[in-house]
Amino acid sequence: MKKDIKKKLKDFWYGKPHKERRLGDLYIDKTGLYKHREWRGVKDTFYYFHMIWLYNYANLVVDVMKNGGLFVFAKGVWRYRWVGQTYITVMHWFDRGHEGMRGEALRATAWHYRAMTNETIRQFMRMFRADTKLNKGKQNEIYKKTMSHDETVCGAIFYPWRDKIDNVALQMIPYFVTCHVNCQTVLNYIDAVQSIGLPADPCPMCQAEAGIYVLDDYPDYSPAFVASNEACDGSVGTGILQDWFMNKPYFSMPQPMQFDDPLVHKHTMAEIEEAWKFIEEHMGIPFDWDQYVKYTEKFNKLTEFEWEKWDVAANTPYYPINGVAQALYRIYYSQDGYRDIWAQTDEKVRKIMHRCVENKIETFPETRHRLLAWSCAPLYYSFWTTWAYNCWGLNTVMNMDSLMFDMVLRTDTYENALDDLARYHEWAPMRRMAVGGYKHVFELWEYMKRFNCDMVMMYDQLACKGMQGIHGMFEDEFRERNIHAIWMPHALPESRTVSRAEIRRIINDYMFTVMQEEPLDPSLLDFDDSLSW
Amino acid sequence: MKKFKKILCGGLVAAILSYIGLFLVFFFDLDGKFLYYVVGPFLIKHYDNMPRKDMTKSEYAMDAFPKYEYAQEEAR
Amino acid sequence: MRDLKHLIYFDNLLQEANNELVRQAKEDGKIIAGYTCYHMPEVLLDLPGCVGVRLRAPLCTSPDIATYYMSGRTCHYGRSLLERALEGGYNFLDVQFATETCTVTTRFQEHLQMMDVIDNPVFFCEFTDVPFKKTANSIDHYKRQLEGHVLKPLSEKFGIDTSDKALLAAIEEHNEVCRLVTEIGDYRKLENPTITGYEFSIIMLVTLVCPKYLILPKLRETAKEMKTRKPDAKPNFRCKVLLAGSENDDPDFIKLIESCGALVVADRFCYGSIPGREEIEIKEGESPIEAIARHYLETGHCPRFMGQNEMRERKKYLADVAKEYNADGIIVESNKFCEYWSYERTIDSIVLPRDFGYPVCSIEKEYINTASGQLRTRFQAFVESIEIKHIQEGK
Repeated sequence: MKKDIKKKLKDFWYGKPHKERRLGDLYIDKTGLYKHREWRGVKDTFYYFHMIWLYNYANLVVDVMKNGGLFVFAKGVWRYRWVGQTYITVMHWFDRGHEGMRGEALRATAWHYRAMTNETIRQFMRMFRADTKLNKGKQNEIYKKTMSHDETVCGAIFYPWRDKIDNVALQMIPYFVTCHVNCQTVLNYIDAVQSIGLPADPCPMCQAEAGIYVLDDYPDYSPAFVASNEACDGSVGTGILQDWFMNKPYFSMPQPMQFDDPLVHKHTMAEIEEAWKFIEEHMGIPFDWDQYVKYTEKFNKLTEFEWEKWDVAANTPYYPINGVAQALYRIYYSQDGYRDIWAQTDEKVRKIMHRCVENKIETFPETRHRLLAWSCAPLYYSFWTTWAYNCWGLNTVMNMDSLMFDMVLRTDTYENALDDLARYHEWAPMRRMAVGGYKHVFELWEYMKRFNCDMVMMYDQLACKGMQGIHGMFEDEFRERNIHAIWMPHALPESRTVSRAEIRRIINDYMFTVMQEEPLDPSLLDFDDSLSW
Repeated sequence: MKKFKKILCGGLVAAILSYIGLFLVFFFDLDGKFLYYVVGPFLIKHYDNMPRKDMTKSEYAMDAFPKYEYAQEEAR
Repeated sequence: MRDLKHLIYFDNLLQEANNELVRQAKEDGKIIAGYTCYHMPEVLLDLPGCVGVRLRAPLCTSPDIATYYMSGRTCHYGRSLLERALEGGYNFLDVQFATETCTVTTRFQEHLQMMDVIDNPVFFCEFTDVPFKKTANSIDHYKRQLEGHVLKPLSEKFGIDTSDKALLAAIEEHNEVCRLVTEIGDYRKLENPTITGYEFSIIMLVTLVCPKYLILPKLRETAKEMKTRKPDAKPNFRCKVLLAGSENDDPDFIKLIESCGALVVADRFCYGSIPGREEIEIKEGESPIEAIARHYLETGHCPRFMGQNEMRERKKYLADVAKEYNADGIIVESNKFCEYWSYERTIDSIVLPRDFGYPVCSIEKEYINTASGQLRTRFQAFVESIEIKHIQEGK
């Protein structure tokens, strides 16, 4: 009895130990809502309550106020499904990604989420302020000073104008971010584009991006557009519909496919220069080299810290960022380009990470296997990494998308800067590895070694022709190298093709039958979240 | 002084009650439940019933936009 | 109509990639160079001492091993090519000149690079990067690519003469083939055409898969024969159509359309002649390789071209071709899993009827169409709809 009380008090104070807790019991059937949020011990529960839940709810309002005000926001919410249906689920997105987390890992991960939320709000508020659809058809001053572009055109292209105009990626928020936060939203757009005759087999990411247009759900916030062919044939195809529905000056800045070829690199440089001329022509503002240097150098600092993080992740058990935050934050900032929020966040995370290393704090102490996640991830279930650690002790240390822009951009001369920017552009997500040639896709083995991983989570994006087209060779290599790889089928944003439950079942099966292991938390093996956000 | 104390106490009680209330909302995921069962369906209904432009009727002029081509010598 | 003298012979040449003329060229000591895409200029592969063969996988209905390697969710064409390669059907190749123009054929060709599939010790596979636009920068890039990835390896590895003189000779031979095919194809413009789409597609295909120098005599003879060929007194078609879309090297698919009453009078698809059989013109001040690079970019109308004006102009191009060939409607096809044409087909099926007045039948097909019943129903319905339109217009 006395022992019981002592144990209960201990659990109250510190939270239940990993192997004793039953996180799956907290879910309300189907919805993914919680009967109650997790008790993580006094310190971490109140940290979560104050510094994550309250702080971020408050900032969801404050950020809106700082970026144009509640009225603009309300107009946008009323007009656009992707923001309204997604904004309400933001805190739940935090919850899902942070389940079971404790201590420094909880803190560092949450700062990444906060930064992504802040930058998302800044971007959609900029869209709304400039949007002719919300401003009675008027092209206001903000409209004239905003450049829109494909989400796969990196923000660095626009640094030369950063002090005078701003750039906002067209699909980044309406499509990409919403998939992660509320997986239901995007389904409307996929259905819409199929309703005008597009078959169901092209990549659903591209389908969704085109579908937003079919439902007239993109803001019109810029006089011109810069497009790219990244990442695949489907993106090029999407451009055909996009140009039609957008009906404004549209500059295509393709990324060459065979980018290892030095001859090709010269072509990319020329394309970037043409894009710069296009921006000058349509925005009426000259290229400013000093601005380019200023923001590139700031961005390089982010890359340097990224390398420091990789070093800790690769060589120690003290890395305090979970798989989902690592993946999303990295791809977000490296594609978006420098913003103050990234630097501020890195400062906070740096302190936490240094503390972990100095004090030898094992941030994911129940790690059984170190995973490298390869290929394109399921956007509707990016937080599977959190589940996999809680249920099986599978710690996703690194993922393919994070490794793309692995370089410092030179700024000593114009030629060197252009040379590096072209390389950066060529190493864009999915182009660098997934569809950019088998040589790069098979860098997997080197990265496994570098990050000390003993397993691979092999994403199997069912509609990605590039990765499907090389499926068998991976199978052969896994067998030959005797590597444990779990194939995770999914359809990027399309959660109806392979459900989250099915993904969990596939991992469970592999862990039981091939690895012959038992779960850390059996309550997470099987639950129904089919109607969740 | 007494009045000030009373206000202070009242404020403190209100703050404590608010804090407890917020904690209960947080702990029992009442925010999530409210958004899931009330706000979400309301918004979805609104978006589903919104009049939308038929985008397939959009103009598609063959010669509306020129070939964007910039000679390399023009580049910096 | 009377049967064309060489049609059965031509048809037999299409039954396997390593046909008798390819074998003969090999015996003649020619280097055999494979390719898959229009944007690998065939004229370069037909330099003296060398023969270009555009790869097909005839009669490949069940690419099982290739499906293991490339999964069942990629284009059937790419998988069929890999299957044929794994079966040893391309062992005659000395080199594959690959283009990264669409993802699945790229992956097929990467398998050739990686897997040691081709049983020929000299074999290698070289990739060329093809630009996405038709600007001066793109043409310049393309030219450098062709020099570096086609001419250089041909010269260094096989000792092929790649001088301007040799290029001019290749252009001359190529242009003759183009002239003859165009001449034969022009009979499709007649009110009552003296050649069917099926016949033309066989002739067109042999010019892609056979050594030019061996097929030319029969081609000349066919062109001569066409001059006196009389049409059937009573046309046996109900309407004329333009067939546009993705990869199609199956004459039986055209036969299927024609058996439903729609004569295919124009072929604007990969492996078709529009574009494909335009003569290469060398402008003043241009070197042969510059002219070739410009020609293949300017004439290409693949949906992968993403310049804004190019995306729009190709709809007009399609309507112009339909007008030139007196087509009553357009069939737009795309191979299942072809992403470029999935999108292009979607917009074509909306914009072409709306802005150009052409009825469009939009279909998805496989590389080899074994399940033809559904397609037959679609084509029959389309023919009927065109007839009804004609009746309503009082024609």
